[in-house]
Amino acid sequence: MILRLAIASLAARAVTVCMTILAIALSVALFLGVEKVRTGAKGSFADTISGTDLIVGARSGSVQLLLYSVFRIGNATNNITWESYQDIADRPEVDWIVPISLGDSHRQFRVMGTTSEFFDHYKYRQGQSLALQEGALMGDLFDTVIGADVAETLGYSVGDPIVVSHGIASFADHKDQPFRISGILEKTGTPVDRTVIVSLEAIEAIHVDWQNGAQIPGQSTPPDVIRQMDLQPQAITAALVGLESPLQTFALQRAINQYPEEPLLAILPGVALQDLWAIVGVAETALLAVSAMVVVTALIGLMATIFASLTERRREMAIYRAMGARPSTIFGLLILEAVLVAAAGAIFGLIFLYFGLSIAQPLIDRNFGLWLDIAPPGGQEALILLAVVAAGAIVSILPALRAYKLSLADGMMVKT
Amino acid sequence: MKPAISLLALLAVSPALADGTREVDAHVHGVGKLNIAIDGTTVAKEFHAPGADIVGFEYKAENDEDLAAIEAALQTLSDPLNLFGWPEAAECTVTSASAELETEEEHDDHGDDDHDDHDHDKEDDHGDHDEDHDEEDNHDHDEHADHDDHDHAEEASHTEFHAEYRFDCANPDALTELSFTYFDVFDNALEVEVQIITASGASAFEVERDAPTLDLSSAF
Repeated sequence: MILRLAIASLAARAVTVCMTILAIALSVALFLGVEKVRTGAKGSFADTISGTDLIVGARSGSVQLLLYSVFRIGNATNNITWESYQDIADRPEVDWIVPISLGDSHRQFRVMGTTSEFFDHYKYRQGQSLALQEGALMGDLFDTVIGADVAETLGYSVGDPIVVSHGIASFADHKDQPFRISGILEKTGTPVDRTVIVSLEAIEAIHVDWQNGAQIPGQSTPPDVIRQMDLQPQAITAALVGLESPLQTFALQRAINQYPEEPLLAILPGVALQDLWAIVGVAETALLAVSAMVVVTALIGLMATIFASLTERRREMAIYRAMGARPSTIFGLLILEAVLVAAAGAIFGLIFLYFGLSIAQPLIDRNFGLWLDIAPPGGQEALILLAVVAAGAIVSILPALRAYKLSLADGMMVKT
Repeated sequence: MKPAISLLALLAVSPALADGTREVDAHVHGVGKLNIAIDGTTVAKEFHAPGADIVGFEYKAENDEDLAAIEAALQTLSDPLNLFGWPEAAECTVTSASAELETEEEHDDHGDDDHDDHDHDKEDDHGDHDEDHDEEDNHDHDEHADHDDHDHAEEASHTEFHAEYRFDCANPDALTELSFTYFDVFDNALEVEVQIITASGASAFEVERDAPTLDLSSAF
């Protein structure tokens, strides 16, 4: 009975009520959307590397080592000598070790020298391996495998020649030794998408005629001669290490960190990711706080609407009273109306969210490499929506109390 | 960095390295470190804590009381289930446990060879540096004779307790939390930094005296 009354009463003020519902719906969609982006970003961030037990680099900070070795952001403070790399590789605890050599670039993309084992051992998103969408892995010294974003942005396909630039953002190209694209990787949503991968030897090969960061004038060794040369690198930038047993991780980490011949740093990727997220995470918390404030604003708007309606509904209330409604019924009616509005807002908010997600998901994935999962609303979303409805009920208590008091005092006559 | 450049840089640095490396680990009073690795039913734990947290002092033991305190601490640290409790349901039993005291001191001019020999870091191996403590002089001093010309200022030294444990847990799925009764046992300990490695990777936590239970469910 009272429910029918509440719905009919809301329907009578359809325009105002719809506006209030819209405000709540948009704020709820914004809040849930921010939450979605936040968890999505955190997830895809943590999914960047998995299956690697330790990352080894020159001694610096764990976040810095992670940034340059995995995210290809910033530069190494130092390299690791090949001897140290060999020492670590020869340790009995080490199951596999993949060297990484960074420092050259192609257009805006970084070039990474590594061994073919990188493709076996680099894992992302809970143990997924890299896969080729086209072509094959490097067969020749001057072969390269490129990430999906590199291919898409620069419009490359298998067989195209590319020239690697010396250093990052420099004008010196390794023109004498052009590479050929032998394969293009599937999109991973990780920094690998934006990487040009060559063999470790190729990094040495393109620097054969170079000294002190510049090409020796007039000197150019033909590729066939280079192929015959000993191209063992003198140094690498970092190494990914997998262990025989996780039980040995801390012991090996300590051994590497205390390696007397060279200052090295070994980090646990998961812990370094956590450290990095702790820095980045402040922004996401701020964003969440702002969107929560938007929800609060919409709810206060709801309260204001109910207050405003009280004056115009004084006669209505008085009639209810004359027909035998108790003051508590008036109170309940107003609360119920507010709850209905908040619930409608929450439901429409959820609809807006999924509608928005279905449009934005491919765009966000393409532009930011961030994959937002469209999953049915889970327990957390349900909790947030319930909280909004409950908050709607709470903010309506104040106007409802006022109506309760007025309905006691007011007679049938409206005195103006 | 280009390999060619870094090679030159390395050559320039090499003579300095030949003199031996000087380094001192970070050491924060009040903060212990606990590393946990889980592989199937085997759980390995290693624990490091500053001497100040465990026995309240970091100078070299000066009298019988200090020695007794260290001895008692080592005994306590050798019983991991009384310090870091796994849930009953995990059915963990201790397969090995050991604890020791190490001294962190600045050794300026040791060759690399000496660094491989960790014996010289042990607290009780330095008994010969202080004439007053003949009662501890039960060690072979000859191999450490070269240490005699060092000035071992007691204030400059830091001590750390190290302990290593192995457990066998019949039901590793139940390893969802760890309760730090450690804080009840050692009053000076304020915080433990925990790193844990499970099949799903490594993660880090901080456990403080106010909330001595660690929820590990997110680490699996």
